Amino acid sequence: MNGSPSQQADVRYLDTRLSINLDRLATTTNAGLFVALFASAALGVLVSFYFHFLTVALLFLNLLNFYWMRVQKTHTLLANYGLLAQIRYIVESVGPEFRQYLFASDTEERPFSRNERAEVYRKAKGIDSSAAFGTQYDPSPGFITLRHSMFPTPVEERVPYQVTFGEENASKAPYRITKPIMISAMSYGALGPTAVRALARGAKRAGIPMNTGEGGYPKYHLMEGCDLIFQMGTAKFGVRTPEGLLDEDKLAELAGHEAVRMIEVKFSQGAKPGKGGLLPKEKISREIAELRGVSMGSDVVSPPYHSECKDVPSTVAFIRRVQEISGLPVGFKMCVGRLSEFEALIREMKSQQVFPDFVTIDGAEGGTGAAPKSFMDGVGVPIFEAMLSVRKILDDEGVTDRFKLLASGRLIDARRQLIAMSLGAAACYSARGFMLALGCIQALQCNQNTCPVGITTHEPHLTRGLDVESKSIRVANYADALTHDHEELLAAMGKRHPKELSPECVHVPRLVRFES
Amino acid sequence: MIKKGILIVLRLFVAAIMAGAGYLKLTSGAAEIAIFSELGMEPQGRMIIGLLEVASGLLLLSPHVATGALLTVGIMCGAIIAHATVIGPSPGGDGGLQMAMLALVLTSSIVLLLVSRRDLPLVGHTLVDSDKMRG
Repeated sequence: MNGSPSQQADVRYLDTRLSINLDRLATTTNAGLFVALFASAALGVLVSFYFHFLTVALLFLNLLNFYWMRVQKTHTLLANYGLLAQIRYIVESVGPEFRQYLFASDTEERPFSRNERAEVYRKAKGIDSSAAFGTQYDPSPGFITLRHSMFPTPVEERVPYQVTFGEENASKAPYRITKPIMISAMSYGALGPTAVRALARGAKRAGIPMNTGEGGYPKYHLMEGCDLIFQMGTAKFGVRTPEGLLDEDKLAELAGHEAVRMIEVKFSQGAKPGKGGLLPKEKISREIAELRGVSMGSDVVSPPYHSECKDVPSTVAFIRRVQEISGLPVGFKMCVGRLSEFEALIREMKSQQVFPDFVTIDGAEGGTGAAPKSFMDGVGVPIFEAMLSVRKILDDEGVTDRFKLLASGRLIDARRQLIAMSLGAAACYSARGFMLALGCIQALQCNQNTCPVGITTHEPHLTRGLDVESKSIRVANYADALTHDHEELLAAMGKRHPKELSPECVHVPRLVRFES
Repeated sequence: MIKKGILIVLRLFVAAIMAGAGYLKLTSGAAEIAIFSELGMEPQGRMIIGLLEVASGLLLLSPHVATGALLTVGIMCGAIIAHATVIGPSPGGDGGLQMAMLALVLTSSIVLLLVSRRDLPLVGHTLVDSDKMRG
């Protein structure tokens, strides 16, 4: 509006738009509350004593407002605007729910979009998972797909899946799995009692093994009779000496348990590589404190590494020691960091002629019950790139056939799982997939003991709703449906067994170039 | 330890007074009827206040001490207003006995309220300094 002065004199500018001045609204409200107190008192005296119910309520409200505006020093908004500022906090507090229910699109939520979650729910409920009209994902750089074959495997030529751990090392107690998915490490502690039992019973139904997580003696995992992979975390809960070293007798005793079929030594975890396990104090009950041998009332933070593993040679020696004591197939779990270190580890294995029975590669996108945000978001190599690098190192060193590779890290659907298997995994772990099968709604409160669906909480009023029997059926359904998807996709790729898969079976989109 | 003991005594004291006063109102004690007639709240107001008094007495004995204390403070404020505006300082010439009792219960319940303010529903956590931020 930079007309000449004479034009401005002609045109009178009239603003007819209404708007709310929040600043003034708050000031008026606060003054109004104060005036209302006296008005109500006057009405109480002049009209009816009943008005004094209102007088007392207004008195409290004014006192509260005074405290927020004049006494507390934490929140500027509260200090400046009082009562009305709380509206901002109230609305903000229900923001996640509103976004999830109403505003987030089916493909945009993280870690799992509604589409991904719905697919797990359908599998778990045994509902036909066909969909219409085409993929909702953008087939753009980053979205990896599987390459099919012109000549799919005929049904009669398909070979049932099976993998045997420990065969390379002539283990005394080799362990065979017949489905390509396993329940990944979730401790009692991270999960509540009913969730552990529902998963364990589901694993038993589906005939798949379940990893105990690093939560000490697996009391609840053992209740349902499924096969277990005992995870030894860096704090060695369940098999530790008071000094935090390996208690050989306890390990031997645990390994002697019929249900314990393999041992997994946890070096690092994708969600917090370079940092030990973390159990917030809110979730430490008396029983958990006993099972882990820790005290209540403070967070339990595991050390970032095993005291026995100071360098590459001692690490390899420690694996050998666990193999000897347990007599079971032994592997370790790690998130890939520097490749030179992994390479050195493999070379040391070759020189000592000691190999684990399996190695679990955990992608940086892996889940956790509690981890520092900076580690969750900022450290570690994602699963597909990690698998590719690891596979290359193993090939270069000529030890690809000396042990099995397992993959984990956001592998909740057959597509991602088969990509990992094409890059070298013999089987896949999933934790959050099975949590979704249990009824997880991605409320993201696993670290607060307030899980609304009773999975990651020890509050009896929250675990009450999680029925072990019916949820165990969903867990088994999910495992079976995934296995079915695997068979179908493998056949479409013209393969009979995941062993025949290779990186060539995966399509990694690149920026399309139109010149030849 | 001593502080804990004092608080328990205060709780029991206030709860007993409130429950007793509520009982008298609900069972239509003659003195109560007289007061509430003067206030123009007979009988509905007497019943409402009686129920609130019994409720606050029970709440003070339950884990919801903060709510019980808040309710008690509110009722006592109402009582002070009644004495100040309608009934006068010594109704029936009791020499201020009721007023003294009122002051005692009000002080006790304010102490209880301040001590337990963290547990107040909805606003409790805003009334204490969170000494340590947890992430």
